[in-house]
Amino acid sequence: MEKKIQLLIIFVLMSMGLTYGICVQMKTVSKNGTTVNLTSTQSKLKDEILRISEKYDNLFAELEEVEKQLEVERQNSTSNNSNLATLEENIKQRNLALGLTEVTGTGVKIILNDSNITTATNPFINVSDLLVHDGDLMNVVNELFNAGAEAVSINGQRVISTTAIECDGNVIKVNGTKIGAPFEINAIGYPELLSGGLSRQGGTLELLEARGLSINLSKQNSIKIPKYAGAIKFNYATNIENY
Amino acid sequence: MKKEKIVMAVTIGISAFILVAIIFMQFKVVEKTDRISIDAMTESDLRSELISWREKYDELQLQYQDTLVKIQEYKEEYKSDEETEKLLENELTELKTLLGETNVHGQGIIITINEGNLQNDKINYEDLLYIVNELKAAGAEAISINDNRVINRTGIYTIGTESGFIKIDGKRILAPYIIKAIGNQTYLEGALLGNGGYVDELRKWGFEIQIERNDDVKIDAYSNSLSNKYMK
Repeated sequence: MEKKIQLLIIFVLMSMGLTYGICVQMKTVSKNGTTVNLTSTQSKLKDEILRISEKYDNLFAELEEVEKQLEVERQNSTSNNSNLATLEENIKQRNLALGLTEVTGTGVKIILNDSNITTATNPFINVSDLLVHDGDLMNVVNELFNAGAEAVSINGQRVISTTAIECDGNVIKVNGTKIGAPFEINAIGYPELLSGGLSRQGGTLELLEARGLSINLSKQNSIKIPKYAGAIKFNYATNIENY
Repeated sequence: MKKEKIVMAVTIGISAFILVAIIFMQFKVVEKTDRISIDAMTESDLRSELISWREKYDELQLQYQDTLVKIQEYKEEYKSDEETEKLLENELTELKTLLGETNVHGQGIIITINEGNLQNDKINYEDLLYIVNELKAAGAEAISINDNRVINRTGIYTIGTESGFIKIDGKRILAPYIIKAIGNQTYLEGALLGNGGYVDELRKWGFEIQIERNDDVKIDAYSNSLSNKYMK
């Protein structure tokens, strides 16, 4: 008899757990609303995007591997000739500058977030002022380059020569990748100059601060900036020979 | 009797386990789709997202093949130093081109901005920044402002306030501002005009702006020296 009761209690507990799990799941799905209402074409497209983005990640990892190999081969074939070694070093430096390798160095880190002021606490404020916009990020990045930054990233996206900062509804796209607040901007350069340029009187940060945005600027002894997650290729521009 | 009970308990246990596993798998799927934030996209958004992923993938594939070829070239035995030097020079030129250290030409557009007789409004650094950004978004491969090449670490600023002038990478420039860009002409022009395009915006303020399509835009190399002092 006692065993029966024990068994019964176990059953009840199990079904309770299951029901709870199902309920949580249902809530998650209904929160995403659209997931449930997708047409079959939409879900097919979504599947394809997921598949190709996964393939992209895999290929990118492979590319990193062969790029390392290339560097080794290059080093091997230039090791006993100083003239060739100089050329090799020039290639390395340009890969750094282009954003095709991960880099480290001294610099600054800026964390930029939307304001926590609301129209409830201040009804006369312009709601748009309380958000970080594409133009704000452009200004911060530009100010960093004015102060001699050598490498910059926004939420892990390396800023390269073709990097655009675009507004896309309520998110921002950098290198075509969607990112959202808080924004972490890392820059390598001379820390005093970088932070001085940003926080000078009438400068970029002062204007952002006046709007109530949350800003955290810190100098860094060693900061890591990732490489650009793609390939850089020209399709229209070609070199002018004998210009 | 007892055996039957055990069998029942085990069966129920197994089915419960499977259910829980399925629930967790489901959680994971939901999380993953969220990460890429494609849930709320319309069909046409999804299509363009897919196209851009395919383009990015193809470019990466090319880069991959390219790298393999280079590795093979370096590996070849009985190669003289002259041949190695040639390989290195080729690679270096390629990188210099991408960085903006060479003179380039190609199809593109030329934008001319006149301040005209506007009393109070002048072009400032931010206007140029916005235009450059839109050109980049449209895939510009090379850009210059008054013949100063814009590279990946170019900075633009205004000295002083109202009566100030603009400096690009430390060089002073004056109106009229002539911005050259190499890339797909339709994309480049399209990005500046129409819905939210910045040239349209400036025209509303009264600036005189011409956009000329040119099949052979020439853009000079970056003239300052480039060095990496702080990054490794």
